[in-house]
Amino acid sequence: MEREDAWRQTDRLQTETGKGDPFAAAVRGTRMPMIITDPRQPDNPIVYVNDAFLGLTGYGRDEVMGQNCRFLQGADTDRAAVQQIREAVEANRDISIDVLNYRKDGTPFWNALYISPVSNEAGEVLYFFASQVDVTDRIDAHLKTWSEKEHFEREVAKRTRELSEALAAKTMLLHEVDHRVKNNLQMVASLLALQTRTITDPAARETMEGMLKRVEALGTVHRRLYQSNDLERFDVTEFVRDLAGDLVRGLGRGDIRLHFDVEAVEVPVAKAPPIALILNELITNALRHAFPDGRPGRLSIAVTPGEASFAIQVRDDGVGMTDPAPASGRRSFGKRLMETLARQLNASITWRAADPGTVVHISLPHDAAVHSEPR
Amino acid sequence: MTEPLRVLLVEDEALILMQLEMLLEDAGHSVVGTAMTASAGSALLRETRPELVFVDLRLAEGSSGLDVARTASDLGGIACVFITANPRQLGDDLAGAAAVIAKPFSGGVLEDTLAFLEQALRRPPPSLAVPHGMVLAPAFLANWAPAEG
Repeated sequence: MEREDAWRQTDRLQTETGKGDPFAAAVRGTRMPMIITDPRQPDNPIVYVNDAFLGLTGYGRDEVMGQNCRFLQGADTDRAAVQQIREAVEANRDISIDVLNYRKDGTPFWNALYISPVSNEAGEVLYFFASQVDVTDRIDAHLKTWSEKEHFEREVAKRTRELSEALAAKTMLLHEVDHRVKNNLQMVASLLALQTRTITDPAARETMEGMLKRVEALGTVHRRLYQSNDLERFDVTEFVRDLAGDLVRGLGRGDIRLHFDVEAVEVPVAKAPPIALILNELITNALRHAFPDGRPGRLSIAVTPGEASFAIQVRDDGVGMTDPAPASGRRSFGKRLMETLARQLNASITWRAADPGTVVHISLPHDAAVHSEPR
Repeated sequence: MTEPLRVLLVEDEALILMQLEMLLEDAGHSVVGTAMTASAGSALLRETRPELVFVDLRLAEGSSGLDVARTASDLGGIACVFITANPRQLGDDLAGAAAVIAKPFSGGVLEDTLAFLEQALRRPPPSLAVPHGMVLAPAFLANWAPAEG
């Protein structure tokens, strides 16, 4: 009872000269807005309020004394925060929370509210002591930062999505074009194969079959083109195996053994077709002319990476070069084709007798090849 | 050779269809029909009951060779081989087909494939090596595993 009286006396004190309890004087004079409520009275009314609180909220003392604190709440006050405060008070716990409150003139402010129960020695809660700090600037800055972060994250997500979509569209287009090229090459091969079948003249037929093999060699390039995930590099090594194997089978020369001595070499994709056509000529020539009359033999193909260039060597153990150069149109066309393609690649081609057979050596400049790691 | 294989062709490019027909006939096999759409292909499968069907993945009128492969698998006793410029689109199980040949294919690869499939279907297990340009489905390969082991 004494204590209760002391508080009432304190309230009276602030209307007097300011002498008395130094703690009460401190509370009265501090710039920190503070109130005290009495939970033992109905609806837990305000029983003390300091000037700083009146300054913060704009209310007069008469307007707030005896009121429950809920008059500070307003339209945008978070109901969950209010519920948390209510629960803390009911449980006689202290609580620290940021809540949106409203001044008498209706302007909102962010209130860093701190409430703690004040108990007597018997543990009975006599009062709640509450302090308020206007933290509107801090909350606004926080909300602004948060909103800017949200904005940037949305923008980044949007850009990422756009880029992913653009990449997907580009990849789909590449696959579509690749599909068309392969189908069209197949159609060219179909045309040549169908026409060849109707030709009875052996020389004309051989010419057509030669053209079909060249188109098929280009087809093999395209079939292999995007088998790896590298869209810019072409693996010469695997191509050589594929092409040579196909040519031996296509000519029905199962009696000619193929031998490969190849190291991994990759070239830019643009160089693949001319290299493929040169190889096709060399291997076809060897198969057609080195092993006449069913003479069995061996065809060795070596791919060797070097410092300034890489080398492809095609070696047969057949009958050797027929000299002088044959007068047949197809073969002279084949030779011209090789020379022209070699010029395009800055490559040099040399033929020499190997006794037995022939060795053809192609040297391709460094810029045409990238020596890949052995696999 | 033994009895010719009865083969159905489903391909929407007329020229490629003609070339396939020619290669099959040259190899002594019998083309029992040709179709350019999935529905026509499936109808011919039911009608002709071939032993082997070559199917392009992308067919006319926006139809898919996958549907033809499904019909073949439902009917049973029909080996389905895809011929496609898009072999990577098929999963590892080749969508239930026996094998796939990548376009552009050479005449040689198709001849080898036919020789291999003839052995596989008529005198299994095949003694020939799996042709270079052909990829065989694991499930189809497993059919001969005990004989090979």
